Amino acid sequence: MRKENNPPKLFLKFFRWYCNDHLSDAVLGDMIELYFRRKKKLGKRKADLLFVWNVLCFLQLFAIKRKPLPQNNIAMFENYLKIAWRTMARQKMYTGIKVGGFAIGLATCMLIFLFIRNEISYDKQYANQHIYRVYNDWRGPDGGAWTSFPANIHTILKNDYGEVEKSARLIPYKWFNAGSNLMRRDDRVDNTYEEGFAYADNDLLDILDVPLIYGNRSQALTKPMSIVLSKKMADKYFPNEDPVGKIIILNEEKTKPFVVGGVMRDFPANAHIHYEFFITLANVEFWPGEQTSWCCWNYNAYVKLRPDTDIPSFEKKLTSMRETYLVSYLEKAGDQSVTDIKKYHFFGLQPVEDIYLKSGKINDENQHGDMRYIWLFGGIAVFILILACINFINLSTAKSANRAKEVGLRKVVGSARSYLVNQFLTESLVYSFVSFALAVVLVILVMPFFNSLSGKQLSIPWITWWLLPSLCVGAIMAGVIAGIYPAFYLSAFKPVDVLKGSLSRGSKSSTMRGAMVIFQFTTSIILIIGTFIIYKQMNFILHAKIGFNKDQIIMIQGANTLERQHDAFKNELKQLAEVENTTSNNYLPVYGTNRDQNGLWKEGKQKIDKPVYGQFWYVDEDYIPTLGMKLVEGRNFDEKLKSDSASIIINQALARAMGYKKSVGERMGNGRTYHVIGVVEDFHFDTMKGEIRPLCMVMGKGGNIVSVKVKSKNMATALSSINKVWDKFMPHQPFRYTFLDESYARMYDDVDRMGRIFASFAGLAIIVACLGLFALSAFMVEQRSKEISIRLVMGASVRNVFRLLTQNFVKLVLISFLIAAPISWYMMDKWLEDYKYKITITWDVFMVSGVVSVMIALLTISYQSISAALANPATTLRSE
Amino acid sequence: MKGTYLGEFEELVLLTVGILFDDAYGLAIADEFEKQTDRNVMISSVHKALVRLEEKGYLKSHLGGATATRGGRDKRLYTLTQAGIKVLNQSKELRNSMYKQVPRIVWGS
Repeated sequence: MRKENNPPKLFLKFFRWYCNDHLSDAVLGDMIELYFRRKKKLGKRKADLLFVWNVLCFLQLFAIKRKPLPQNNIAMFENYLKIAWRTMARQKMYTGIKVGGFAIGLATCMLIFLFIRNEISYDKQYANQHIYRVYNDWRGPDGGAWTSFPANIHTILKNDYGEVEKSARLIPYKWFNAGSNLMRRDDRVDNTYEEGFAYADNDLLDILDVPLIYGNRSQALTKPMSIVLSKKMADKYFPNEDPVGKIIILNEEKTKPFVVGGVMRDFPANAHIHYEFFITLANVEFWPGEQTSWCCWNYNAYVKLRPDTDIPSFEKKLTSMRETYLVSYLEKAGDQSVTDIKKYHFFGLQPVEDIYLKSGKINDENQHGDMRYIWLFGGIAVFILILACINFINLSTAKSANRAKEVGLRKVVGSARSYLVNQFLTESLVYSFVSFALAVVLVILVMPFFNSLSGKQLSIPWITWWLLPSLCVGAIMAGVIAGIYPAFYLSAFKPVDVLKGSLSRGSKSSTMRGAMVIFQFTTSIILIIGTFIIYKQMNFILHAKIGFNKDQIIMIQGANTLERQHDAFKNELKQLAEVENTTSNNYLPVYGTNRDQNGLWKEGKQKIDKPVYGQFWYVDEDYIPTLGMKLVEGRNFDEKLKSDSASIIINQALARAMGYKKSVGERMGNGRTYHVIGVVEDFHFDTMKGEIRPLCMVMGKGGNIVSVKVKSKNMATALSSINKVWDKFMPHQPFRYTFLDESYARMYDDVDRMGRIFASFAGLAIIVACLGLFALSAFMVEQRSKEISIRLVMGASVRNVFRLLTQNFVKLVLISFLIAAPISWYMMDKWLEDYKYKITITWDVFMVSGVVSVMIALLTISYQSISAALANPATTLRSE
Repeated sequence: MKGTYLGEFEELVLLTVGILFDDAYGLAIADEFEKQTDRNVMISSVHKALVRLEEKGYLKSHLGGATATRGGRDKRLYTLTQAGIKVLNQSKELRNSMYKQVPRIVWGS
């Protein structure tokens, strides 16, 4: 029958698709007979139309295909599952690698997901919208942004700008009673050291929507000398009672008792601030005139704006604050920086929920997340998952030869391709679900380790409604994605080829497999190189010449309560055999100690020159020797010289900034004039991310921290004898100390953490890649066992066979290395840009990483290769 | 078992199958039906009726008799079952007896 004679093909097909088997052929026959009869009589067009009409008329219940009976389907799936189970059980190693590798990838993804979810959840809990933090925006050269303001900022914001509904201040720094204190109830004797103090206005509770458990939020901090405790602290000091109205003594200052004004709920872990105590700012004046002057910037400001405020235009409006207050203050003082300020100083508003993640250039005291790390970790997690999926695909296709006969036979007995696709997808889903279950177990096991690594408190959110459904959806999706290529690949075998045995045994996709191995190893090598470089930088930081000696120094904290006994305490410590020297002050070159930025001028130039900004530290005469700093010029302070109360020691950076050729003998100051008696070698008192900034030191007594340089190597006995001295002086205060080197290392916690996280990721990636490589090499050996045996019989040596089997893989790893090296060099160069003091990336890092990865790959392959080369050829060949 | 009630259309189809005897398949039945009754009929209605009659047990079918004009496809050939013959007889007797009971006067002169 010629083609053009036929009725419309589409509808023919359509009919066959919907019609049940009982009628299909007979009715179609009838319709075709009728069609030809009509064509003769009415012509093709009409016959076609009528045919279509007929087909549509049959679209009725009696003719439509019934759904296949459900029992049948279940039986089929039972069979699929049984076959899947048998395949899994038959090849334990492959199954282990497939499932294990996949589970590792999944577990990594889950952990990273939890981590990212936590990072982006910060400060989303407030009922108030439109709450912002005000910051200074310096749009000049070396622009920056910071959050501190003068004391009267909140009244100015409230009174001068109609957009502001509420404004409040916060002192987050270690400053007066903010930071840490010794604390006790007034009816107890012993003090306890507590951290997490901050000064705040009462309105801050309202703006940040802090829920109160006891007390009234509208007046918890309105009375002078009132204090609000967190729930945790209230439970500690006032268990089972309402603490409102109770008295608290800080630092033994009995003349200044604090009254508890309320108890607030503990800040959630994902808030940008976590304070245990808020001390009121009502009626606080730290020195005469402090509250109204624009001299000193120590307050952070939060505002709640009217909902209809347009932020950009309000920010512009805030500039008037600069003109009215700041410029007029500076002009009155004759400050020369006023022209720059007029040009560059602006104000900005940052939504509170952006503080944690998106602070970028804004410099503040809070702990921050980093958007870049979120992208990085997310990316790495996805990559590791891809590596695991690649193993899955690779192994499935590689083992295809073993399934080919099954596929062929199924097709011969009437299985359609779609059934086979279904079967392989089912199998892949089984793998996926097993892997997911395993992954969840892994996550539970690894969680504590991961928490210590990332410094977070994460847990699996079992109680949320979306957890199980999303796990199931994830398992299904992963199963389908990983299974779809093998499913179509395997089901496409032609039964004739397979059963004749002429199917090339999985070699068709060897390029594909090679590419996948390269991808896996490229990722792994990039991570290895990254880890190396981060560790080198960390090592550099910890062992660099930092300008002082951080070893063997104990910092005794909370020494301010010694008051007039400072010198006596110091002298008694110096008597101890274990102690070399001791110094007492607030300023140390590690985080968590005081900083004081001052404007500095040469003598008499205060109204003429722009100031040089530098740290202004009060230290005693033992400071420089105790910390092992080096004087490059001049001399140290001398207690016996009366004139040294007006002497100053500067660092090299300040000498440069001042333009001194010879510093000793110059006169300079911060308003009060000092006589320069010495220059100390630059030492790092900030992280190495920035350059060493100007710093100067003058004589001062007292201080929070007594630093003790220990002579003997036996730290334990030294500590116990120091403790005894302490107890003699301060019987009611616990002896609390830290080590300087540990505090120093803590400054680089984030680098250290990055290093460890990278190392774990690199380890994971390598494990997954090696699992895949191991299985692939096993497969290769299996495929070529006859060839190897024949070679051995013909006289090939073990070494020949080993080379034959490994060289291909080693080549792939080398190619990966060539791809990975430039990528990782570029990435790590970017990372190092953050640091002013850094290592240079040298070729040896790449060398070592390359050798390491090749070695790992070789080790992985060699087990299989060597066992193949050592096998008795007779056993393999006999079976033919 | 569905109801065994025989509709008018079904009865006529059943009779047509009887008339055609050994070549009763969908299209032939439709043709014969049109010829006998002068009514137009959709081929789908005929098949629908045939399926239903087979379900009721009045017809049985087998495949066979493919021709080139049908694109080489088999016909589904229907024959009456004993039950089919019986139900036709019953129907005819019912009509006869009811016909007889109509008073003469009704038929007119």
